[in-house]
Amino acid sequence: MELNSIITIKNLHFAYSKKKILNGIDFNINRGEVVSLLGPNGCGKSTLIRLMLKLMNTDSGDILLNQKDIRNYSHKEIASHVAYIPQYHSVPFNYSVLEMVMMGRVSKLGLFAMPSKKDYDIAHESMRKIGIENLANQAFGQLSGGQKQMVLLARAFTQEVDTFIMDEPVSGLDYGNQIRLLETISKLSDQGYTFLKTTHYPDHALMVSSRVVVMNGGKIIANGNPKDVINPDMINSVYGVEADFIEHGSHTRCIPVFNKGI
Amino acid sequence: MKSLKALGIISTASVVLIMIAIISLLWGQYPIDFSTFIGYLNFKLFGGVGNDTYTLLDNIIIQIRLPRILLAILIGSSLAVSGASFQAMFVNPLVSPGILGVLAGASFGAALGMLISEQWYIVQTLAFVFGFIAVGVAVLVGSMVTNSRSTIMLVLGGVISGSLFTALLSIVKYVADPYSTLPAIVYWLMGSLTMADLSGVLYVSIPMLFSIIGMIILSKYFDLLSLGDEEAKALGVNVALVRFGAIVLATLASSLSVVMAGMIGWVGLIIPHIVRMAVGPSHRLLIPLSAIIGAIFLLLADSISRLAFSVEIPIGILTSLIGIPIFIIVLKNARAAWN
Repeated sequence: MELNSIITIKNLHFAYSKKKILNGIDFNINRGEVVSLLGPNGCGKSTLIRLMLKLMNTDSGDILLNQKDIRNYSHKEIASHVAYIPQYHSVPFNYSVLEMVMMGRVSKLGLFAMPSKKDYDIAHESMRKIGIENLANQAFGQLSGGQKQMVLLARAFTQEVDTFIMDEPVSGLDYGNQIRLLETISKLSDQGYTFLKTTHYPDHALMVSSRVVVMNGGKIIANGNPKDVINPDMINSVYGVEADFIEHGSHTRCIPVFNKGI
Repeated sequence: MKSLKALGIISTASVVLIMIAIISLLWGQYPIDFSTFIGYLNFKLFGGVGNDTYTLLDNIIIQIRLPRILLAILIGSSLAVSGASFQAMFVNPLVSPGILGVLAGASFGAALGMLISEQWYIVQTLAFVFGFIAVGVAVLVGSMVTNSRSTIMLVLGGVISGSLFTALLSIVKYVADPYSTLPAIVYWLMGSLTMADLSGVLYVSIPMLFSIIGMIILSKYFDLLSLGDEEAKALGVNVALVRFGAIVLATLASSLSVVMAGMIGWVGLIIPHIVRMAVGPSHRLLIPLSAIIGAIFLLLADSISRLAFSVEIPIGILTSLIGIPIFIIVLKNARAAWN
């Protein structure tokens, strides 16, 4: 079990100046899992992700990446174990999609090295895997939100890692792109890749997760099988809304109860 | 293959640069025809029977034109690459060694050096130190008002920093000997390549080439830094080291250009924009190509200042006169390349 854990977090605390954000977090991500991290705005999800990537330093507690303290890793080493997929965003310079995807290869190059044919092959292979090879020569800035998110996913694959951390991957995407992205994650997880994603949608967590972790007030309040964790009581206590659950095909769907004019 | 295309563009630009350099070597008050030049080159490289013409050519080419051409190439490259690097490091299209106050800071440092010492290395060191302080002041002032990264506030910080060091420079001028040091400072600051001598140029070429090559090596990380620090770190870049290294190198290169030829404005601002419009924003091509195009630009500007008028115009004045209209055109089109 321990050996299977890619990221292990032990009794993690973190505060911005005086404001406590994380208050004793314990959990791990195991190989092959798709873990959805749920929780209301400000519960510390994004902070937790940033700590896991060593974008900030922890106050106390440990984060282990493949059983080794993350403090002993350089950013280059972390990038060769986990890939981070941020929310899609605008870029200041209008790079092409290929240039954007190739940025995943830079940390693999030595100081004096230029990208070789092999690096370009890996970039094209990653784009093919995500199904965006036809976008290679387009300008990243002119893509739709959904396409941008796919480009960032392809870039992550050029890092040749099998673990991916996604920060609210569907936020800002239209309905169709949300579903297509979730389908892509589901398909990739079937191929054995490991995902941690934060989400605001319990329904999405039910659709694509092997495990759900719920955070509230800087603590983990539930952690387990999606169908067990996501229940009316949890939704009510975390989000303050009522929800119904119905079976639909092979999935359970979470439907909020809409109270007009309370 | 993308790398091959980039290599092709850089090679073509290099050939153009070499051709322009040879033409400027032959062209001047005393024109040298090509066959004489080949004969002279043959004589210099392989020896043979010398004659009076070759002695004259030695004087014109080695003593006068070659150092000046080499210096124009070095300074044009330094300023353009520094400008492109500053723009990448601050993720800001409007900064350059001039706008950030580096040229003003370096001018003050160099003038101070001339005042207190006759040692060339002291002048150079002070130029670099105050050039670097000027960037620091620009960043500090820019970030004091807003804590987010603001394009306009950094430009404003640079304006303030530049004004500060221009004022300090005036103090140096005021106390300088009006018969010797003051005119020297004033003429030097207008920007001129006429003072170049071969040993001085070769001596300064070492740190300048070091900086230019350093920035070219770091350029593959610049694209990632422009995405923001967190994303660059997550992609495996040592952000603090690359950013600090690039700023130090850009400051060193542009400060040394001030020491050698005074304040030559606009090159560091317009060349990166022109190159970006031509080949796109990827810094792996933008930085080395800026080096070559910057060199071509300054070499042409110097040739014009040398040949077009009966009186030689200081090159700093000429680059401003050429640079301003180009920048206005560039600015109109730059939005596309910048998103």
